[in-house]
Amino acid sequence: MYALLVLVPFFSLLALNLPFRELNRRLAFGFAAILFLLQMGLVFIPDVYFWRVHLSFFANIFHFQLAADILSKVVLFCIGLVSLTALCVSRSLIKESEERFNFINIILLAVAGMNGVALAQDIFSLYVFLEITAVSSFILIAFEKDILGLESSFKYIVLSAVATVLMIAGIAILMFIAGSTNFSVIHSALLSQNRNLLLSLSIGLFLSALFIKAGLMPFHGWLPDAYTAAPAPVSIFLAGIVTKVAGVYCLIRIILSVIGFNDQLKGILLLVGAFSAIFGALSALTQSDFKRMLSYSSISQIGYIILGLGSGTALGVAGATLHIFNHAVFKSLLFVNSAAVESQTGSRDIDKMNGLAKQMPWTSLTSILGSLSCAGIPPLAGFWSKLVIIIALWLAGYKIYAVIAVLGSLLTLAYFLALQRKLFFAQPNDEFKNIKEAGFGLIFPAFFLAALIVGAGILSPWILSNFILGFNSLVGG
Amino acid sequence: MMVQALLLILIIPLISGVIMFFIPKKERRAQEGLLIIASLANFILAVSLFPQNFTYRLPWLDSGIELSFRLYNFSSFMLLSTAFFGFLIALYSVIFMRGRNFLNQFYGYFLLCIFFSNAVFLSDNLLVLFFFWEGLLLSLFGMIAVGNKEAFKTATKAFIIIGVTDLCMMLGIALTGHLSGTMTLSKINLPLNNPLASITFILLMIGAISKGGAMPFHSWIPDAATDAPLPFMSFVPGAMEKLLGIYFLTRISLDLFQLNAQSGLSTLLMSIGGITIILAVMMALIQKDYKRLLSYHAISQVGYMILGVGTALPAGIVGGLFHMINNALYKSGLFLTAGSVEKQAGTTDLGKLGGLGRVMPVTFGCFLITALAISGVWPFNGFFSKELVYDAAIERGMIFYLAAVVGSFFTAASFLKLGHAAFLGKLSSQNEKTKEAAGAMLIPMIVIAAACVIFGLFNQLPLKYLIQPILGDRLEGHNFSGFPVNITLVVITFVVLFLALANHLFGAKIKGSGLAALDHIRYAPALSKIYDLAEKRLFDPYHWGLGLVNIISKLSLGIDRGINWLSDGLSVRLAYGLSSGIRKAHTGNYSVYLSWSIAGMLIIFVILIIL
Amino acid sequence: MLLELLILILLVSAGLWTVMTRSLLRSAMGLALASAILTIVMFRMNANIAGVFELSVCAGLIPVLFISVISLTQPMTFKEASDHMKERLHRFWGLPLIVVVLGVTLALVSFKYKVTPAAIQEGKPDVRFILWHLKQFDLLGQIIILFTGVFGVAILFKERNKRG
Repeated sequence: MYALLVLVPFFSLLALNLPFRELNRRLAFGFAAILFLLQMGLVFIPDVYFWRVHLSFFANIFHFQLAADILSKVVLFCIGLVSLTALCVSRSLIKESEERFNFINIILLAVAGMNGVALAQDIFSLYVFLEITAVSSFILIAFEKDILGLESSFKYIVLSAVATVLMIAGIAILMFIAGSTNFSVIHSALLSQNRNLLLSLSIGLFLSALFIKAGLMPFHGWLPDAYTAAPAPVSIFLAGIVTKVAGVYCLIRIILSVIGFNDQLKGILLLVGAFSAIFGALSALTQSDFKRMLSYSSISQIGYIILGLGSGTALGVAGATLHIFNHAVFKSLLFVNSAAVESQTGSRDIDKMNGLAKQMPWTSLTSILGSLSCAGIPPLAGFWSKLVIIIALWLAGYKIYAVIAVLGSLLTLAYFLALQRKLFFAQPNDEFKNIKEAGFGLIFPAFFLAALIVGAGILSPWILSNFILGFNSLVGG
Repeated sequence: MMVQALLLILIIPLISGVIMFFIPKKERRAQEGLLIIASLANFILAVSLFPQNFTYRLPWLDSGIELSFRLYNFSSFMLLSTAFFGFLIALYSVIFMRGRNFLNQFYGYFLLCIFFSNAVFLSDNLLVLFFFWEGLLLSLFGMIAVGNKEAFKTATKAFIIIGVTDLCMMLGIALTGHLSGTMTLSKINLPLNNPLASITFILLMIGAISKGGAMPFHSWIPDAATDAPLPFMSFVPGAMEKLLGIYFLTRISLDLFQLNAQSGLSTLLMSIGGITIILAVMMALIQKDYKRLLSYHAISQVGYMILGVGTALPAGIVGGLFHMINNALYKSGLFLTAGSVEKQAGTTDLGKLGGLGRVMPVTFGCFLITALAISGVWPFNGFFSKELVYDAAIERGMIFYLAAVVGSFFTAASFLKLGHAAFLGKLSSQNEKTKEAAGAMLIPMIVIAAACVIFGLFNQLPLKYLIQPILGDRLEGHNFSGFPVNITLVVITFVVLFLALANHLFGAKIKGSGLAALDHIRYAPALSKIYDLAEKRLFDPYHWGLGLVNIISKLSLGIDRGINWLSDGLSVRLAYGLSSGIRKAHTGNYSVYLSWSIAGMLIIFVILIIL
Repeated sequence: MLLELLILILLVSAGLWTVMTRSLLRSAMGLALASAILTIVMFRMNANIAGVFELSVCAGLIPVLFISVISLTQPMTFKEASDHMKERLHRFWGLPLIVVVLGVTLALVSFKYKVTPAAIQEGKPDVRFILWHLKQFDLLGQIIILFTGVFGVAILFKERNKRG
C-alpha cells in the first residue's frame, strides 16, 4: 500500500502532538527511527508482499493513484537512510529536548512530502508534495533562528517561489494540451503533438523550475547559503536528500514519464550538467568553510547526475540513479564529518584547523572514504556510478561531455585532497591540541555510512548488472 | 563442480595472500601454515582441473569487457606447473626464510603471484589478461623489495623495465582489438600480412619476451639474484617468468597470429633467441658468484625457448615448450641448491666456497643432476629439448644452429667451473662446520632432480600428454618423443660436451683451480675489452636508459619548465583564478541570484524554441 | 478587448504598487486589490468556484491577517519612511520598465502554436466530485502543507516572543 508511506508519517506526527506531549517527546526519537528503518527495509520487499497489498476498507476511503518503479524505490531508500542519519546526528547536536522534538516533527513532515513526491503519478500531486518538502525546508533552514539562517531561508523562499510559479505555469499549459494532469495521460497526449511553441514553453518552464529546486548552476544561488547557514543535522538532510528529491528526482521523473527525450532537451541537460559539474568543483576549490565547500561539491555532483540523465539512454539514467544513491551516502557522511569537526573545535574554517587526524582518527578516516568516493576513486561506490555515467555519455556519442566529466572528477579530487591535507594531515596546531574525538552519536552514523560506501563499492558490479535491467523498460522509446 | 574448482583456484591464493598481509609478524607458525596449506590446495585443485576443457564467462555492462576464463590443455598444463613449483618452493622457503624480516609480506606476494599467474593462464580476454599481467608486476616488485638493502633499487629497476615493456604490450593489445574487433583470445586469429599486424605482433612479443627475461630486457635479473630473497629467484626468474613469457609468446605466435616459418618476424624472434643465448652465456662464464652465475643462465636458457618457438616449425615449438618446462625444473632446482649453500655456508661467493660436496652430499647430488640436465647431457631432460630445438634451428639456417651449439658449449663449461669451484676441491677452513641442509629444503630439490631424470628417460610422458596436444593440428602428425632421429646432431652434441670438459680440464690445469678454469677465455685478446666494458654495465639498456634520460632531461629543461608552467602554473592559476572569480560573484544578494536564474531560463527558452 | 487591456493595466499597477509602496500596510492593501482584480479575470473565464475562493481567501482573509499583524508592529517615523521610500525607488526603478517592455514584446510576438487541446468532456463533473474522487491525494497534500505552515510559524515565532 503505497499510500501508507505518506499517511503514516503524517498521522504519526498528529498523534505525537495531540495528547501526552511529555511522553511523546521521549518516544518521538525511537519512533521516527523505526519508521525510517522500516521504510529502508520495505524497499527490498518484493512487490507482491507490501506494495500490492490491497486493504479493501482503506481503498474505499482513499482513491490514491500511486506507483513505485525502481527509480522511486531507490529514492525511497535514500530518503529513509538520510533521514535516519540526520535523526541520529540531531540527538547529539540539538541539545534541548523541546527543539529536538520539533526537529523530529518537521523531518516527519518533510519525509511525508518526499515520499509523496516519489510515489506521485500526477503532475499536480507532484507539485503539491514538492511544496510540502519546500515549506518544511524553509522552516528547517531557519531552525536556529539566527540571522544567517533566517536570511538564507528567505533567499530560498524567494527562489523557490519563482520556481513554484514557473512550475504551476508549466502544469497549466500541459493540462491545457492534455486535459488531465495524470502522467500517462499527458504522455500519450504529447506523443501525438508535434514540436510547437506552447509545448516548448512548458518544457522550459518545468526545466527552469526544477533546475532551481535542484540547485544547478546558474540557478544555484540559494544553495550554498542555505546549506552553510542551516544547523548540521539540517545540512545533512538538505544536501543528502531534499534537493535530490525536490529537484533531481522530479526532473528525471517528469522527463521519463511525461515529456520524453528529444535533442534540445538532451542538449540543455548536458550543458547545464557539465556547467554545474565543472564550475561547482571550481568554486569549491577556494572555499575555506568546510560546509560551504561541501555545498559547492554538491552542485558539482548534481551536475554529474544531470549529465547521466542527459545521455538519454537507459545506462545513463541508471548511472544517474545510482549516483543519487551514492551522493546521498557520501555527502551525508561528509556533512556528518563536518558536524563532528565543528562540534569539537567550534569552527568550520579549514585554513585555521590543522592536523586533526591524530585527535580525531575516526572522523578523519571516514571523511577520507567519503571524499574518495565523491572523487570517484575505485573501488568505492562513487567510482562505479561515475564510470557508468561516463560510459553512457561515451556510448551515446557525447564524447566531449565524457571528457568534461573526467576533468570534473580530477577537480573534485583536487579540492578534497586540499581539504584533507589542511584539515587532517598538516602539522598540528597548538590551538587545537586538546581536541578529542566526537561522541558516539556522530561517529556511529559516520561509520555506518562509510561501511555502506565500501560495501556498495565492492558489490557494485553485481548491483549494476542486476540494476540496469530495471531501467531498460523505464526509458523505453 | 568444475566452475567451483576454477573459481577456487583463483580465490584461494588471492584470499590467503591478502590474509597473509594481516597476520601479525610474531605469528610465524600461522604464516607458514597458511602458505603451505594454500599452495597445497592450489596444487590439488590444479591436478583436479588438469585434463579438462571449458569456458566460464561473466559479461559486464555489454561494453566488450568480460571476465572470461578458459580452461584447455595449454592453460591446465601451465596451472599444473605453477602449482607444482609454487608448492615445492613454498615448502622450501618456510625453512629458508626463517629469521628474516617482512615474512608475511613475502609470503603474501608469493601467493598473490600464484593468483595472478593462474589468472593470466586462464584469462580468455586480452584486457583481463593484461590486468592480471600487470598484477604480476606488483607481486614481483613486492617480492624483490623485501630482500636486502639494495633490493629496493633493484625492485625499482625491474619495475621500470617491465613496466615499459608492458606499455608496449598494452599498445599491442589495443591494436589487436582494433584489428580483430574482439578482445576474446579464443576468437582472434589474424594473418600477419600487413605492416600494422606485424607491428602489433612485435609489440605483444616485446611484452612476452621481456617477461621471459630475454635480452635486452634482462638486466634486472642478475641484480635481483644478489639482492632479492632466494626463493624468489627460484620461483620467479627460475620458473614463473619462463612459463608466463613463453606461454604468451606461444599464444601469440600460434593462436592470435599466424606466424609462418618463412616470415621475417620468425627470423627476428630466432635472432633474439640466438643473441640472448650467446651473450648471456658469455656473461655467465665470468661470474664469480653462485647466484649471479645462475641468473645469467636463466637469461641464456630463455634464448633456446624463443629460438625454438620462433622457428614456427612443429619440432621447434614442441622443443621450445619442452625446454620451457625443463628449464623451469632444473633452473629452480639449481637456485634451490644455491639457496641451501647460502643458508648453510653463509655465502655464495665462489672464491670462498669449495669442497662442499663432501659435507652436503644431497645438495651436491641434486646440483649434479640439474647441472647435467642444463648442459644437455643424455639422458637428462635438457638433452631432449635441446635436440628438438637444434633440429628445428638447422632447418631454418646454419647460423642459428651454431649459436645454439656454441651456447651449449659455454653452458657446459660454466657449470663445470661452478661445480668444481663450489663442491669439489679443498674444503675451506670457514666451511669446516657446514652441515647438510634441513629436510624440508632437501625434499623440493630431490623432487625436482627426480623430475629432471624422469622427464629425460621417459620423455614421451611430458611430450605426449602435456605438450604435443597444445599444438593440435599444427603438429602435422609428428611425434617427437623417444630418442632424437637426427643422429648427426646427437654426435655433434656429444663432441661439443666433450670439448667443454677438455677445455675445463685444460684451464684448471694451467690456473690450478676450478674457479679460474675459464680465465683464458675471460682474458682472451679480443674478448677481454668487451668483458671489461660489460662489467661497467655498458651493455645494460637500463643503464643507457638512465643516462639518456639524464641527458634528455637536461637538454629539455627549458621545455620542461614551460610545460610545467602550463600544467602546474597556468592551469592551477587558471583554476584558482576562476574559482575566486566565482567566489566574488556570489555576493549573497538574492536579487543577483534571481537574475542569474532568469538569465539561465532565457537561455533554456532560446535553445528550446529557436534552435 | 478594451476591457481585457484595462484589467491587465489595473492588475499590473496594483502589483507594482504592492511591491514599491513605502509602508507595509499599503502593501497589504495592494495585495488585496491585486487579488480582487484577479477574481474578475477568473469570473470572466467562467471559473466561478475558483473566483469565489480567490476573493474570499486571497483578497479577503490573508490581507486581513497581514493587516492585523502589521498593526501590532511599531510604525515607522516619517523620516524613516521617506528614506525607505527612496531606497525602494532606487532599487526598483527598473521594475515598471521591465514589466512594460515584457508586456509589449509578448503582445507583439504572435503565438502561432498549433495545439489541439484534448477534448474537454461534455457536462463538467461537479467540483466536489473532482476534489474527492480525482484529486484526493492532492487534497491530502494540501492539508499537510497547511499543517506544515502552521507548525513552522508555531515553532519559529513562538519562542521569539518568549525571548523578546
